[in-house]
Amino acid sequence: MKALKEALTELEAKYQVSIMYNSDVIADKVVTDKKVKGKASKANAFESELDILLKTNGLKYDKVSDKLYVITAVSSKEAFAPSIKSERNTFESNQENIKHEAEPAMAVTITGTVTSSKGETLPGVTVLVKGTSSGMTTDPNGNYTINVPDGQENGTLVFSFIGYTTQEVPINNRTTVNVTLGDDVKALEEVVVIGYQTVRKSDVTGAVSIVSAENADRVTASSVAESIQGLAPGVTVRNSGVPGQGAAIEIRGVASFNDTNPLYVIDGMIAEANVTINNNDIASIQILKDASAAAIYGSRAANGVIIITTKQGKEGPAKVSFSAKTGVQTISNRWDVMNSTEFAAMQRTMYTNSGATPPSSVAEGTFNPNINTNWQDEVLQTGSLQDYNLAVSGGTATTSYLISASYFKNEGYVKSNSFDRGSLRINTRSQKGRVTFGENLLLSHSVIKAPTDGNPIIDMAVMLPVIPVQDPSYITTTNPQGWGIGTTNAITYAYNPVAVRELSASTTNYGKLVGNAFADVKLFEWLNYRFNAGAEVSYDFDKNVRELGVWQYNASPYPSSVNEERSTFLSLLFEHTLNFNKQFGDHLINGVVGISSQQTSRETTIGGRTNLTTSGDNYFTTIGSATGEATSDGGTPTDYRTFGYLGRVNYSFKDRYLVTLTGRIDKDSRFGANYRTGYFPSIAASWRISQENFFHVNAISDLKINASYGKLGIIPTSLGSWPYTSYINNNPRVVFGADQGIYVGAYQATLANPDLRWEERTQQNLGLDASFFQNKLSFEFNIYNSLSKDVLLNLPVPGYLGNLGGNPYVNSASIRNKGLEVAATYRSQGSDLQWDISGNITTIKNTVENVGNQGQDVNYISSGNTRSQVGNPVGAWYLLKTDGLFQNQAEIDSYTNADGVIIQPDAQPGDVKYIDQNGDGVIDTRDRVIAGSPWPSLQAGMQFNASYKRISLNVQLTGVFGNKIYNSVRYTLDAYQNTNFRSDINPWTPTNIGTDDPRIGLLAGDQGIAANNYDYSDRWLESGSYVRLRNLEIGYNLPQNLLDRAQIRNTRIYISGQNLFTITKYTGLDPDVTGANIQERGLDNGHWPASRVISIGIQGEF
Amino acid sequence: MKKAFIYTFIAAALATAGCEPDLDIENPNQLTVEAYWQNASDALAGVNAVYSTLHRGSISRWMPFYYIIRSDEGISTSGDGNIINNIDKFLVTDYNYGNAYGIWNDNYIGINRANQVIAYVPDITMDETLKQQYIAEAKFLRGLYYYHLATLWGNVPLVVNVSVVGDVPASATQAEVFAQIEKDLTEAAAALPTSYGSTDLGRATKGAAYALLAKAYMQQHKYTEALTPLQWLVTGEGASIYNLMPNYRDNFLITTENNQESVFEWQFAENPTETTDDDIATANQNYGTSIAQFFAPSGIGWSDGEANRWAVHQFYDETTTGERDPRLEASFLFDSTDVRGPAYSMIYGKTFESRYGTDNSRVWFRKFQNDHWKNEEGYRSPNNWRYIRYADVLLMYAECLNETGSTAQAYQYVDRVRQRAGLATLTATMPNLSADAFLEQLKHERLTELSGEGHRWNDLIRWGDAGPQLADRDPAFANFVVGKHELLPIPQTDIDLNPNLAQNPNW
Repeated sequence: MKALKEALTELEAKYQVSIMYNSDVIADKVVTDKKVKGKASKANAFESELDILLKTNGLKYDKVSDKLYVITAVSSKEAFAPSIKSERNTFESNQENIKHEAEPAMAVTITGTVTSSKGETLPGVTVLVKGTSSGMTTDPNGNYTINVPDGQENGTLVFSFIGYTTQEVPINNRTTVNVTLGDDVKALEEVVVIGYQTVRKSDVTGAVSIVSAENADRVTASSVAESIQGLAPGVTVRNSGVPGQGAAIEIRGVASFNDTNPLYVIDGMIAEANVTINNNDIASIQILKDASAAAIYGSRAANGVIIITTKQGKEGPAKVSFSAKTGVQTISNRWDVMNSTEFAAMQRTMYTNSGATPPSSVAEGTFNPNINTNWQDEVLQTGSLQDYNLAVSGGTATTSYLISASYFKNEGYVKSNSFDRGSLRINTRSQKGRVTFGENLLLSHSVIKAPTDGNPIIDMAVMLPVIPVQDPSYITTTNPQGWGIGTTNAITYAYNPVAVRELSASTTNYGKLVGNAFADVKLFEWLNYRFNAGAEVSYDFDKNVRELGVWQYNASPYPSSVNEERSTFLSLLFEHTLNFNKQFGDHLINGVVGISSQQTSRETTIGGRTNLTTSGDNYFTTIGSATGEATSDGGTPTDYRTFGYLGRVNYSFKDRYLVTLTGRIDKDSRFGANYRTGYFPSIAASWRISQENFFHVNAISDLKINASYGKLGIIPTSLGSWPYTSYINNNPRVVFGADQGIYVGAYQATLANPDLRWEERTQQNLGLDASFFQNKLSFEFNIYNSLSKDVLLNLPVPGYLGNLGGNPYVNSASIRNKGLEVAATYRSQGSDLQWDISGNITTIKNTVENVGNQGQDVNYISSGNTRSQVGNPVGAWYLLKTDGLFQNQAEIDSYTNADGVIIQPDAQPGDVKYIDQNGDGVIDTRDRVIAGSPWPSLQAGMQFNASYKRISLNVQLTGVFGNKIYNSVRYTLDAYQNTNFRSDINPWTPTNIGTDDPRIGLLAGDQGIAANNYDYSDRWLESGSYVRLRNLEIGYNLPQNLLDRAQIRNTRIYISGQNLFTITKYTGLDPDVTGANIQERGLDNGHWPASRVISIGIQGEF
Repeated sequence: MKKAFIYTFIAAALATAGCEPDLDIENPNQLTVEAYWQNASDALAGVNAVYSTLHRGSISRWMPFYYIIRSDEGISTSGDGNIINNIDKFLVTDYNYGNAYGIWNDNYIGINRANQVIAYVPDITMDETLKQQYIAEAKFLRGLYYYHLATLWGNVPLVVNVSVVGDVPASATQAEVFAQIEKDLTEAAAALPTSYGSTDLGRATKGAAYALLAKAYMQQHKYTEALTPLQWLVTGEGASIYNLMPNYRDNFLITTENNQESVFEWQFAENPTETTDDDIATANQNYGTSIAQFFAPSGIGWSDGEANRWAVHQFYDETTTGERDPRLEASFLFDSTDVRGPAYSMIYGKTFESRYGTDNSRVWFRKFQNDHWKNEEGYRSPNNWRYIRYADVLLMYAECLNETGSTAQAYQYVDRVRQRAGLATLTATMPNLSADAFLEQLKHERLTELSGEGHRWNDLIRWGDAGPQLADRDPAFANFVVGKHELLPIPQTDIDLNPNLAQNPNW
């Protein structure tokens, strides 16, 4: 046994290196001789010896250069689940000189402050005078004082810190040298969570995208998916402007007709990352895209896996960080529709054209110009966004904690639609001997408020301006408040959107707990056992209240009522895993084996009653106070279990050749015993060419190629918990008797398929990672080819079987997705100006290969105006082709098929000409053809960050190109019937023939108009390409001297604009549509456009 | 020591972890099929489910459109051009037109339900009489649903066993379908009770089975065969069970449902809290019918189907006291529902004049409506559909007697119907008509007695009257192609899925 200090000195001599340390850190530490002779576990013999000396003493080293090592204490952080830049800020710093064996005579003292590019002061940065062994570390405020040896006044200072690029700064006779360190361009030491294991990013063999939590956090978003739009190649996000509604997300296309949602893993708990999760708590987002990366999640991973790691406390004194952001939210675009005078004139023309008498609401003499409702003004408002976060964190060498509280509130741009969320997170770690305990816990309460019915985005466009919002003339017993709903003289079937808002309210509350607790036991140096227990508990409460009144012309009256639904969701996850990591010479093997068991259930109770009690205009909205018919319902809609064995082995040889084998065996209660077990193997290999001895290209710092192949599964949630069994349905009711008694009926309503199993997806991935110029430029390239087989379809059964409750599911379709993903980042580091730019490009080619037996000669599935047809993409538009307008009768008469049959005999000049694809002389649904793809041929994202001194700039652009959107609202407007008109319509008339808008007239009895309004024509199909400025943010770091008085640090204020402009030819409100369902992904059926948000914020710490 | 601890730890962890959970989770919400069909209450619920079909959306809303609006007495000026073209105007643009497919499907849903009762109930140990009654009710209803299919589509697949995925029967001919209907109804009539206690009103009776059987025969022109069941109703046991209501209008009011004139009546009730027409989605369903909302006048309901004005003019016979035929007011809402004109004709609480002015010739059917007790309509009308009235039976009997050479005996039954309306008897006003002339008069009698009740389409087809010549009174018939439009096209979806099905002639 000897003092550590002594052993270090021996090592320095033996290997001709310098070792720096703070004498306090190694005081009293001892080593045994035996351990010094320990087996080499590193390629570098010196490092392995040093490793052994330090590890048992709770120390570690940082390698500053080949000949210089710095010893520091191991932070508590590293003992636990890693984060990307775990070693940042962990240096136990002080202002003492780092003692070294030989201290030359000092000539000059230089002082300065080291900050990060984000303006944070950096404690623990190593400062060295180049070529000497003179060194220091910065204090907790990032300040340093260093004595420069004689003759080095014009020398160079070297600033280094893990996670940041090392910077050399010439002294130039200065006594103050302030430095800003840039983020390490591509820290090869960066670790990645790949599911049950963390590995160095450089060792990842599969396709994994890492999304910068900072970039994701820049946009004000209510869900994770929304925040990562455009940030990762291969990940398609489409947003909605509805407060509290999450975004649609697809990873590498769509491989299922039922479900595109990826699996979310939050700190090891498999739980959905919807709007109930606070984005500000997220430290890192990793997206597992290929079969190799995702196979560890087996039967649930085929849509990709998004791994979310939340922030943890760091070793050090308590740190309080805060952020506040507030902004205004407006609709990014409005419909350009007519006012009542314009509308009345156009309707008069329309009736006159059809030889009909205009209704009194628009007729000369009876038209009342004082009724001029701008429905958009009535419904839209300037919304608001607020986002507040406060976190306290800190820790010691063996414990750490982070407690954060947040409040998010969004008043939407449509009246009466809002979302708010309060959340509390508690993450702690503690270590006792070999065992580390910890938990991550989120408590959140979210409230979504909205009216119960209708879509204001459509209603505000089509509702007639000649209908008042409210008027005494409308008062009836069923419409006591006289809401303007139209009359026989002003017919509309749109909802009065103001009335909907006044009369109905739906409030949905989610009280949620998501988290996990774990115990990690270090069994041997190379083997850890971990027990992880996760839970997601949600108490959901939905209350719908409807007051007496109607909001639609001809609508059936409805009694006032209250309905409540309470449900409890419970998901429990238990996992046992063994992690191993062992080196044998040049061979490194690590991996994990384990078992995972999850059970999920939901129970619901529903109750309600009609005829609310009122007191004057006030409604009592409890069930107990209502006096009418009561309803009740309830059940256990969900109850299933999943059990799996999982394993992964990573093998690497000399860091050059890497192989990963991953597998999972899953069993799921949702399938019959014969189909319950599935095997999901994968293999991946990498070759790091840059590590080869023959590779000598200075410009290329790293070059690696990857290849993977494997199989994954997916279980669509729409299957429910018992999809394969035949059940009695006892919902039918029958009326009998003089008293109209209600009696129960029961029978098997739904045909069942006992042979159900999960969908399977095999995927090949070929990737290339490269970085150039000391990692300033990095580049990722992936191509993939995946085939989903046994895709579940609701296989149509003939109507004569009398089936109800949905067509039985059958595993019978195949879908292929092929694509290319490119991402590149360039970083430029200067002392004042720093910037980086990154971009990504995604292509997806989606092809339906099989749709099962849909019937004779039927190789497609229809949904609305789409077909998913073999050889074409999922949900391709299937429409009539138009060919302009008939300009005169001669054109109509001469438009014949081969047999001379006039194809559109009912048409009049000014009507739409359709292509008779089958040449049968008739235009009907049989003339539809594949008319466009809802899939972009190219998607791109770009981020630019720059900082100059205290000012910073962030720009995010997203772009989507080559897809087609069906503009359903425009269809309604341009059908001209019972709707307001676009301001810029220019209907064809015999004297106005240069227009695209057909003749205007009444539908009734006019087959020509009816044909113009076929909804299955490409008149409504438009290009969905767009480029959008997703985010623009300008920030300013407040000078420290201003902050000192307030005792706060690193404070930054900023102003940001979200969705400031969009370049597109699309004529709807927003080309970023989420669609109606997977097969109608390009349908704009009144999509709520993305909101424009202007916000200001502040963030800082003390 | 330490190693021992570690190994013990690993062993313990693996032992607790290695337990695979039970993956057989019972569905706590529903019984399995295997566990069902055990006792009398299961059988009863099974039968009830067959009746429940009658208030499903397509069958209670859209089917009347095909029997009423498609005929010459109805017209559609709906805002939805697809309704006009596909239902009213014989311009079928889509062989899978949703509203037609829904009727096709709903009837087969009823058949599927009946098939389960007929297949499973015989093996249940229970009271034998009740068992036979339940099976007979299911057969009656299966006959009813096939009657709809036979008269709308004609040549349809016959499914008489419990549905199996992959079952690809060939099309049956219309005659084969009728043969099945005759068999089911004959067997049903044999086992059904003649009447029920107060709480079971609305269940199928022997009289209902005989009346429907007679209709099935008559559509095939088997008038002689139809006489037997009709005789049971008119001159046999049924004569003491059924009679005409003194007041014609009582057949269409919610206050006089299941009256002595009702032979088979579809039972509806209002559920103000319902959320769906789909009777398997939740128990909180609509067991009323939405037809009233769809037939209601413009400004009240959708007005998707209404009456042709010519029908109004058929009510020219005055009563013996010189008044207008009271059936006109009971049948239609129009500018002269009140004989004094638009200023007095009340349309849901407001005068016709105030709603539509004095120069509006639109006519709406009234019999399914609820204007007698409220001033609006909705999707939950509780007003029962008097599917077969005794007046219909009397006129059917008269027609069969006339067709089988007993015209003279037929008079008395027409007279009963006319007399109830206050009109002079046919015997007095038009004695000694030839069989052909009598039939012509009978056509008029059926129109004035039964308009807007769903019989007109089958009458036109039975009489061979459907054709372009009707375009004078209903312009839609200009598009009618004889030999084609008597039947609807078999849904293409089902033909695609089952190549053994044949499309109807000329489609």
